[in-house]
Amino acid sequence: MIRLSIFAALMVLVTSAAVQAADAPAEIKLGTLYASSGRYASISLPVHDGLKLWIEQRNADGGVFVKAFNRKIPLKLIAYDDQSNTATAATLYNQLITQDKVDILIADSGSVLTSVAVPIARDHKMLLIDQTGTGAAFFTADNPYIVLMADPVSSIWPKPLADFLTHDGPGLGIKRVAMLYATNDFTGTQANAVRKFIKDSNSGVDLVFDEGVPTDTSNYTVLLNNIRAANPDAVVHLGYAPNDIAFLRNVQDSGIKFKFLFCIYPGLETELLEKNVGNKGLNYVFTYVPSSEIAYETNFGMSLKDYNAEWHKRYANSQVEFGFNSVAGYTTGLVLEKALAATESLDQLELRKAIFSLSGNLKTLDGTFELDANGAQVGEITPLGQLIVDEHDHLKFVTVWPHAVANGKPIYPRP
Amino acid sequence: MLVYSLLAGLLFGLYFSLIGLGLNLVFGVMRIVNLAHGDFLMLGAFLAFWLFKLFAVNPAPVIAIAFLAFVILGLPLYYLLVPRLLRAKDPGMLSFILFFGLSQVIEAVTTIAFGTSERSIPGDQLGRAVALVAGLFAGKAPENGPVELMGQTFPAAWVASGVASGCAVLLVYVYLYRTRLGYLTRAVMDNREEAIATGINVHRISALAFGIGLGLAAVAGVFAPFMLGSITPAMGAEVTVTAFAVIVIGSLGNPLGTVLGGVVYGISYMLMQSYYSSWANLLPYVLLIAILLVRPSGLLGRRVRRA
Repeated sequence: MIRLSIFAALMVLVTSAAVQAADAPAEIKLGTLYASSGRYASISLPVHDGLKLWIEQRNADGGVFVKAFNRKIPLKLIAYDDQSNTATAATLYNQLITQDKVDILIADSGSVLTSVAVPIARDHKMLLIDQTGTGAAFFTADNPYIVLMADPVSSIWPKPLADFLTHDGPGLGIKRVAMLYATNDFTGTQANAVRKFIKDSNSGVDLVFDEGVPTDTSNYTVLLNNIRAANPDAVVHLGYAPNDIAFLRNVQDSGIKFKFLFCIYPGLETELLEKNVGNKGLNYVFTYVPSSEIAYETNFGMSLKDYNAEWHKRYANSQVEFGFNSVAGYTTGLVLEKALAATESLDQLELRKAIFSLSGNLKTLDGTFELDANGAQVGEITPLGQLIVDEHDHLKFVTVWPHAVANGKPIYPRP
Repeated sequence: MLVYSLLAGLLFGLYFSLIGLGLNLVFGVMRIVNLAHGDFLMLGAFLAFWLFKLFAVNPAPVIAIAFLAFVILGLPLYYLLVPRLLRAKDPGMLSFILFFGLSQVIEAVTTIAFGTSERSIPGDQLGRAVALVAGLFAGKAPENGPVELMGQTFPAAWVASGVASGCAVLLVYVYLYRTRLGYLTRAVMDNREEAIATGINVHRISALAFGIGLGLAAVAGVFAPFMLGSITPAMGAEVTVTAFAVIVIGSLGNPLGTVLGGVVYGISYMLMQSYYSSWANLLPYVLLIAILLVRPSGLLGRRVRRA
């Protein structure tokens, strides 16, 4: 009788395993967009290449392990080019969901091209794997169909910057701050946050210039003159990479030397900015210290050093620069890999649950993966650093805030 | 702030006059709209970029190189595309489609060749050329850096671009009003059929005008890394739209109208940046709509075309 029971139990296990295997899809379809041209190409292609690198690695290993089917399943990437156009992107996101019927929907890089995906994914009850779309407005309590994988939400990006200005700033003589920002979800949210942090600090620091410009602004000469007229002690410029390039080149060409100048992309896409602005133009500029510059301790995936080497091996002849965004694409893959290994099914809300289960536990080369209740990334912080040209004419990051991770003192005012 | 905005607008507007000049010349002579105009500008910009990167050639001499190279490129391109186009029932409308296609091809090929990332030439390169020229007149070389103009300081590249744009406008006028080819070009602009009837080799004149149009676009391209922040293969479409707005504001087919259109655009843009910065990029479209509603033939237009 006991033998019969054991035999029956084994049969049940074998049969259920066979059923699971039979139900398992031949491949997991990942649908995404990238911009091969246009304004957002320089932030989209590195993310896309990072994601592709992860997929190729997993497929070379037989696929990714999916707990729901208890086996490895190959990944199939379906990717379309939105050419940095939001209208094209909206059509293609719909196509990925309704025609290609992808299992996992991954947004293009950046808030602008992600913004159109948010309502589409929600309407179709598809979980949007948001790689680097950090606009705070995307994450609301009534929308469970979005999670931010690789960058912190924009509203917390500038906290170290604002904290530095309001804590250390007055001691250094920083009282008057000028802020110029591009009016999009990414930098608009950051501008709102800076405004709020400064106001709430009651530190005596004032915003004496606070203007927004369209994101496709490519000329800042008049604006720089207006900023100079406001006589600020510190200037904060929040824009995408092309904005920062144009802004910093105009600063250099106009012969203006602000005592403190902060821009986002000298830190995030240092190689690109170095090529366009030059070391001299980046010297003493304050910026975020990105994950591509800090070797975080990892408990999953490659370390920064190994990933950097792998990237340059794989994309040696590519014209895409290694930087913060290339780390983001690979991080998205790592989070998905862990989530698929934990999910009970490919149901979108189950997948979300699995991703949330990683919050606070997963440590990748991008830092600690941590989500708030709305799916916004809050773990991967962006310390404030200053770029300094060393004696070998190389740019190096000096982290100045928070004090806990600082490795140097800020140079203020710039010489 | 106001004086600075006005002067900056003047310099910026002169640059957009240069961009629009070639587009307007091609329209005036052939009555076709070259929607790939901005892409030829982009190619001129990449020519300057690569000559600097590979051979450290200062952008100043590249102005002449780019102009000649693109005039030469324009001649066969004209014979390949335009005569067939002009034989069609509605060449104006077909030109939109054909040159839009050409624009896409140029952008795609350039993207494959050079990638999508932004590229630039160091800002002080044009400053050096300005300092050198100023040194020749002043007797001693001034400092390589921003230039003071009526008590306001501007990047040297802006002043160089303004001067080059002014020279280009002047040269186009000398060509149109002081040379035999120019007289013939104006005859074609005035009435193509009559020009053919009088025995003018209309295709030869048009091919040259087409080449000059591309040459002017390429010259504007040399200044693009300095005036537009950086260059990418995708920049052409936006430039074409703005250039088209500039020539409509001035007057289609009238080169002097292009200068006026450019200056009106430049000054309005800089004033918008100073006082309503968030709305600045709407300006070309608002101006375009306003001009089309109030004065459809443009600020200097009496008819649709005018030689």
